[in-house]
Amino acid sequence: MGDLLYAFTEWLRTTQMTEFSLWLSDTSWSMWLDTHFWAIPIMQCIHILAISAAFGSILMVNLRIYRLAGTDRTMAETERRYTRWIWWSLLVLLISGIGMTIAEPVRELVNPVFWVKMPLVVVAVLVSLWFHRRVMRRLAAGGTAGPVIKTAALLIIVLWCVIMLCGRWIAYAPV
Amino acid sequence: MNPETPTLWEKIQTTGLGTYIAESTWAFPTLETLHVIFLVSVLGTIFVVDLRMLGWTSNKFAVTAIAKDTLPWTWGAFVGAAITGGLLWISKAPDYMGNPYFLLKMATMALAGLNMMYFHFMTWRTVEHWDRDASMPVAVKVAAALSIILWLAVVFFGRAIGFTLGIFGS
Repeated sequence: MGDLLYAFTEWLRTTQMTEFSLWLSDTSWSMWLDTHFWAIPIMQCIHILAISAAFGSILMVNLRIYRLAGTDRTMAETERRYTRWIWWSLLVLLISGIGMTIAEPVRELVNPVFWVKMPLVVVAVLVSLWFHRRVMRRLAAGGTAGPVIKTAALLIIVLWCVIMLCGRWIAYAPV
Repeated sequence: MNPETPTLWEKIQTTGLGTYIAESTWAFPTLETLHVIFLVSVLGTIFVVDLRMLGWTSNKFAVTAIAKDTLPWTWGAFVGAAITGGLLWISKAPDYMGNPYFLLKMATMALAGLNMMYFHFMTWRTVEHWDRDASMPVAVKVAAALSIILWLAVVFFGRAIGFTLGIFGS
């Protein structure tokens, strides 16, 4: 696994991404963020709080699907309570993530774990769109959650845990 | 004091477990990852209750029901965060004990704990009077606001430790 990531880093170094991240780190925004000690930790705190709101909301929706929590409310009420929080949190995650990338372009963009994380985030967003547009709407209309929906709900939780794992390991990847 | 004598924190750091976590390439990052997943779950579920207590969300539903839905998950995740956090601490105990942000984080968590205990043993006794109200009594709102502020501070101090661990002491 380590060798694979090293090879990935070697390859990333040969791409345009290296020049782009070096250019980005010379911009005034990047230099401002880099020279203000608390800028990066504060953006990371915002990122952590946003994933807390998103993950907490996803957890509560999925616990409702499994009838382990929120059984005093209907699926439509559960959907109304949490879905907005999931999407707004994702927006905050995106903005704070872009901020962190501008602050440390080489650390993020020439990083194999970063490029494992990004496709997983895209998959998670697409799966969530399907889940909330189709599945939750059907459940809200009175449908029942069968094994497929329950498995999907569990996989979404696992997927977000893997995304958090990648987020933490960006700091430890060979760059 | 004789500088040759190791402090308690140094003794903890040099135990088999402490050395293993410090020297292993995967143990520290893996424990950190689990710590993040657990603390994200703690915060996410606590805020669900706090926002209801502030009267901002889920106002049609009983506070007791929301507490019952979330608290087992909050506590389970908190135990996980405490265990993983404890293991991280063992591997660098003298550095953490000399770091002001670590001490501030522990103090803030203690305050969050006191806030929760006061709420649980005092304010909660009258819960049947306001359980289903849309607008909560002042004492409930204050407890919820304090909880949110203190946990935000815990996250900030926690992140600050990572940026300052080598700066202070030893």
